[in-house]
Amino acid sequence: MKFNRRWLAFVALVVFATTALATAAAGSARSKAASGSLTVWVDSVRLPAAKLYQKTHPNVHLNIVTFDGDSNGATTLQAKIQLWNRTGHGWPDVIFSEQVNDPVWMAQKPFDYAADLENNVFPTKIVKQIPAPSIAQCTVNGHLVCIQDNLAPEVLYYNKKLMSQFGYQVPTTWQQWAQIGADVAKKHPGYIIGTVGDSYGHWLYLWADQCPLSTLKGPNTVLINAADSHCTRMANLLDPLLADKSVSDVTVFSPDFAKQYGGDADKVLMMPGPAWYALAVFRDTLKLPAGEWTTSTPLRWGTEPVVTGQVGGGPWIISKHTKNMAAAVDFVQWNVAAAKLNTKVANYSAIAPGLPSYGPAAKAWLAWLGKDPFFAAPPGAAIGKASNQIWKGWGLVTYPDQPVWSNSVVTQLVAGKSLSSLLPALGQGLSQAAQAAGYKVVSH
Amino acid sequence: MRHTALGVRLLVLITFAAFFIVPVVWLVLAPTKSDGALVSHSPLSFGSFHQVWLAWKHLDAFSDHIYRRWILNSLFYALTATAITVAVGVPAGYGLALGNFPGRKVILTLTLVAMIMPGAALVLPIFLELDALHLIGSVFSVILPFSFFPFGVYLAYIYYATALPKDLLDASRVDGCSEWQTFQRIALPLAKPVVALVFFFSFVADWNNFFLPLTVLADSKQYPIQVGLSDLLSSTPSFNPAQGGGGQTVNIFRPELALATLLAVVPVAIVFLLSQRSLVRGMLGGAVKQ
Amino acid sequence: MAARVRGLRVPRGLPFVLPYLPFLIAFGIAPTIYALDLAFTNVGGGWVGFHNFVRTYHDYRFVPAFKHILLYTTVWLAALVVLVVGLVLLLHGRVGRTASTFRFLYYIPGALAGAASVLVWLFMLDPVVSPGSFILHHVFGATLFAQAIAPARLPYVFAMIAFWTGAGGWIVVMYGALNTIPPDLEEAARIDGAGPFTIAFRLKLPLIRKWIAYMVILSFATGTQLFVEPQLVNQASLGLVPDTWSPNQLAYQLAFRYADFNAAAAIAADLLLIGLVAAAVIVTWTGLFRTDD
Repeated sequence: MKFNRRWLAFVALVVFATTALATAAAGSARSKAASGSLTVWVDSVRLPAAKLYQKTHPNVHLNIVTFDGDSNGATTLQAKIQLWNRTGHGWPDVIFSEQVNDPVWMAQKPFDYAADLENNVFPTKIVKQIPAPSIAQCTVNGHLVCIQDNLAPEVLYYNKKLMSQFGYQVPTTWQQWAQIGADVAKKHPGYIIGTVGDSYGHWLYLWADQCPLSTLKGPNTVLINAADSHCTRMANLLDPLLADKSVSDVTVFSPDFAKQYGGDADKVLMMPGPAWYALAVFRDTLKLPAGEWTTSTPLRWGTEPVVTGQVGGGPWIISKHTKNMAAAVDFVQWNVAAAKLNTKVANYSAIAPGLPSYGPAAKAWLAWLGKDPFFAAPPGAAIGKASNQIWKGWGLVTYPDQPVWSNSVVTQLVAGKSLSSLLPALGQGLSQAAQAAGYKVVSH
Repeated sequence: MRHTALGVRLLVLITFAAFFIVPVVWLVLAPTKSDGALVSHSPLSFGSFHQVWLAWKHLDAFSDHIYRRWILNSLFYALTATAITVAVGVPAGYGLALGNFPGRKVILTLTLVAMIMPGAALVLPIFLELDALHLIGSVFSVILPFSFFPFGVYLAYIYYATALPKDLLDASRVDGCSEWQTFQRIALPLAKPVVALVFFFSFVADWNNFFLPLTVLADSKQYPIQVGLSDLLSSTPSFNPAQGGGGQTVNIFRPELALATLLAVVPVAIVFLLSQRSLVRGMLGGAVKQ
Repeated sequence: MAARVRGLRVPRGLPFVLPYLPFLIAFGIAPTIYALDLAFTNVGGGWVGFHNFVRTYHDYRFVPAFKHILLYTTVWLAALVVLVVGLVLLLHGRVGRTASTFRFLYYIPGALAGAASVLVWLFMLDPVVSPGSFILHHVFGATLFAQAIAPARLPYVFAMIAFWTGAGGWIVVMYGALNTIPPDLEEAARIDGAGPFTIAFRLKLPLIRKWIAYMVILSFATGTQLFVEPQLVNQASLGLVPDTWSPNQLAYQLAFRYADFNAAAAIAADLLLIGLVAAAVIVTWTGLFRTDD
């Protein structure tokens, strides 16, 4: 056979046609997957992403319902799921929850809401690129029941301008941090180095110091010991700082905090906080001046290895009752991966308010964060490393621990008590909540 | 001496007037200011009408105009349930007051007891009962329990027992009228004040009911405004900051919440103010006669 | 004496009452019985006696919740009786528009009930936005919202909100009741030399005793069933106020967080019992039940 141009043209045509058909098939398979109708429940923060999905996926009839995110220990989702279970209909296909431990009870009776996502129900190739601690938190009784939207490891945020203005070195240990606090109280009163008044203050300071308040010893056994040295040493560190007001007892979201320390007052010197504080708190909530802030590695205790706490990491949960699993999976994977990869989109900070769980997206987000003019120096390095430094000893349980912290500790801190004196009440409150939820509580 | 007594009296009355009214004035003025102005300007200052328009736009945009839905739901539930309450309760009061049948006293006692009982304690059993009847999720899960209003029956009972002389009824019966005709010709025309009273109390109670709709309604689109307000409160970043931060695009801040609250009370405030006089007259109708 | 309709004996009045009966049974009697049944059985339906009552009693949130509600109800009823009666007596006797103006002003907050009034008070209790921040700072020593809703203050805070909403209506009613006093009686007393205090306490007060009793009855019932106020403050304070502050909230949590309807029913039964006992006491004391006077 003569190898002539006509033959070449024919082969090229076949190759081209096959490729075109394959692409078309893949394309239509994609659009076939993402079609039909879908009901998703999101909180106000995830709403921009959901709306963007709606815009970019016209084949899917998306019904977005905003709710309170079930945050701060609310019972919203338990009540709703019970009502839907009783009526036998009404479950949304996808729920986003702000309570990182919600999937734990959602996957068990009597709620029995979460669908199993292992075995490529949710694409394994994405799961493989999500850090192991995050996947572990979404694994209940051996099944993968959720995918975390973002990771929220804690790092140390500091005001570079003020730190050099006052002549302080960036601390790497809690002790150094406390030392600066004592100094600030004397020489620069009114400035703060952190706050314990948030509903998750215990995650920032106790989880980060390996205080055993939620250590799982079995599927229904939890170790709670507020008298452990890890807990008491952190409380002893914080008490003088609380007393001389270099650590606040007011939540960073309250108007009181913003008035006293934010905006033009610009009185925040340092603050341990999770990845999503970067823009959402310092720029948007507190409206601090630009060009002053950056991050550093999480504080460690003396020469011990670096471990840190976590605030959030909201999971996406897919309903096992959904009639449109393909669209549900597509919606979640788009939120977790595709949406967060595209840093060029106009409202990217609203689409990706926190560190994405999906590895490549996390890289993109950190690079994007580094370019934001709000920061004095790129904050991405510390945050990226911190997602693997989260202390694994704090396990997720079916009951919320935030209300116990708020109710037994924060209310008393505001009244002037010391944190050390409140540890026993905290331990007791957590034990009671655990037992009420059916756990066996051990103290070592 | 007399003047100081008068002065003290006036002072006390004015102090309490301030206590009652200042929060309402604040509520009316709050939507005229922006969120920042609410915090920094004087609490009772006036902002601008433009701000009110902005606040309404944000509120209306929340969750796909769900706020309008909530108000309409409240109107629907309250008016339907009140219609049933009046239609069922007023004749019942008449029958209990002027009838004579075995079990009359029992029904009366049960009504009085039901009136006094903590209603919210029954919400969970009512929920389970409605669930057994497969009514959970439908509007009837709200309307039917609302229609049970023992206080309305009691009001009608007191009214007919004191306002309608038995001789008038006997005369009508002697004339050969049936019970139904007697009711139509004598009791019904006299019913206007008590119907107004029962309407007022029932409407206000239905409008303000929170616990029952919260328990039996799963879909927030079916919520009445009271439950909707709590949903609004907890879905907005200014009162419930999310972990993950952000939420600024939702645009519900304090002025919007204040506007939501203000609009939520307008219908019942209208009913309230219109009924002030008939409330006093009607409630004491019996007492005056005594 | 029954009316005869075509030879059929129909007890007089019964047909008018019949449409009401299904409602009375369905939403008055049946839920009570259902609640009691649930309270004495377990998940499988088996009889467990007082087990649910005992174990809810031992729940670590039970006693605090009832302590809270007892304190709240006491404070609220006391405020209602003392302040409402006091204000009414002060108001009455002032003829003309001033009295009705004051009455109207006291009455307006009544239109805001439940969630609406709580939302208003969330702002009033936040020293940053409240018009009463001066009072919060200097009288109550609260510079932060978290301090204004400190646990020890909560029963008083909720009582204040309830008073703010409920007092006006009762003032209107009692004022109307005072108006039924014949003016000659008052005139005669004044001629006899009685001062304003004597007239108020010796003449007027005894005549509105019945209405005070009504007020206490109805307010007691709503007081023990407190739910929406602590629930909303719990939401707005991000958990500083627990979601099991009142017994009704605890029952709700038991039902929906733990899916334990038997325990929830036990608490509902406790509240029913309290309501019944109070009702019985007050009904017999005031003769409310007597229909033929």
